[in-house]
Amino acid sequence: MSDASERLRRPAWLRIWGAALVPLFLVGAWLGLVWSPPDVNQGNLIRIMYAHVSVAWIGFVAVALTAFFGALFLWRSRRRDDVLAVASAEMALLFSSLTIIGGMTYSRPTLNTFWTWDAKLTLTALMVALLVGYFIVRALIDDPVRRGRVSAVVAIVVATSLPFNYLAAEWFRTLHPSRAIALDGSGVTMAPEMLATLLFNTVVAGLVYGWFLVDRARLGRIEAQLETERAERELATPSAGGVVRV
Amino acid sequence: MRHRGRYGIAPRRVVYGLLGAGVLVFAGFMINQALNTSLVYFILPNEYAQQPSQYQDRRLRLGGLVAPESVRFDDLALQLTFMVTDGIESYPVQHVGAPPELFRENAGVVIEGRFAEGTFVSDNLLIKHSEVYEAPEDGHIDIEALRESLQ
Repeated sequence: MSDASERLRRPAWLRIWGAALVPLFLVGAWLGLVWSPPDVNQGNLIRIMYAHVSVAWIGFVAVALTAFFGALFLWRSRRRDDVLAVASAEMALLFSSLTIIGGMTYSRPTLNTFWTWDAKLTLTALMVALLVGYFIVRALIDDPVRRGRVSAVVAIVVATSLPFNYLAAEWFRTLHPSRAIALDGSGVTMAPEMLATLLFNTVVAGLVYGWFLVDRARLGRIEAQLETERAERELATPSAGGVVRV
Repeated sequence: MRHRGRYGIAPRRVVYGLLGAGVLVFAGFMINQALNTSLVYFILPNEYAQQPSQYQDRRLRLGGLVAPESVRFDDLALQLTFMVTDGIESYPVQHVGAPPELFRENAGVVIEGRFAEGTFVSDNLLIKHSEVYEAPEDGHIDIEALRESLQ
């Protein structure tokens, strides 16, 4: 019994990480709400951007890592990779849903609509729908190996939409604005204080994602162990659970 | 042990299967939406000018900039008129409703509606702002200048 409660205990470094997130989040909010300047066109509405864009970016990272861990599981079939993939997928669903909620909040006062079916918004909505599908697929399959493999394929399919989504405003005509930060270093069309605020909030969002990834994977490993133990018990005593129909 | 039907399918799976099918149908609907409307989310005034007959009596989205010194707003009738331009062609636009907060001269707009006798009658006025974000020079936003741009 003490072994089980020992396993459930969060390690000290993880508790410190979690506690550090609270002041970091508050600093990020202060930077966005107080320290950073208003925008010449949008005024104070620009402040919603720091929440929307940082969450969207980390959502993309979460989807990419879900596919990465899924691919690792396909490659070497280690339960640990599947556990990490699920942990990441849960955060991917949360962050991409928040991206849509934050985007709607931001878009109503600036673009004058909550929603429109342009390429970027459609791809993001599709991403959320497919992530929901990821969990439905997992609930359908009992065999852990098959469950991990099929859901890994779903995750990889979702991840293939990422470059299209990321560059949608450049590749297609959209209502959503284009990127203000080109990753190839060709330019940033954003005031330095705004850029600093956005990057700080992105780092905090990344640390929030990382914390939940690690903690959920920790619980996932215990879950997986219990599932294996239960399966072994059922194999040892086939009639324990009741009548088996073939 | 779970009760299973003829093909080893538990009733629970049927429910999840239906849910999955529902999600697939929804995803298909959205892909369809994307292909129909997203790839060419709006057309430019000069694209319309090339083939006006193609868009005859059809609802469309027109994108462009608000031409300078073309904005008139009747705040009693809530009638907003302006010229939308892409630098090559411009068309007069009639819109019922107050101008959105970010609506001003030279702002990017996407308007939904249809052409009637050379005037675009819009029922939805969306803003397409640029990806340039900067602080106002003196730290304050010039509300008067904004208001003037709408007169």
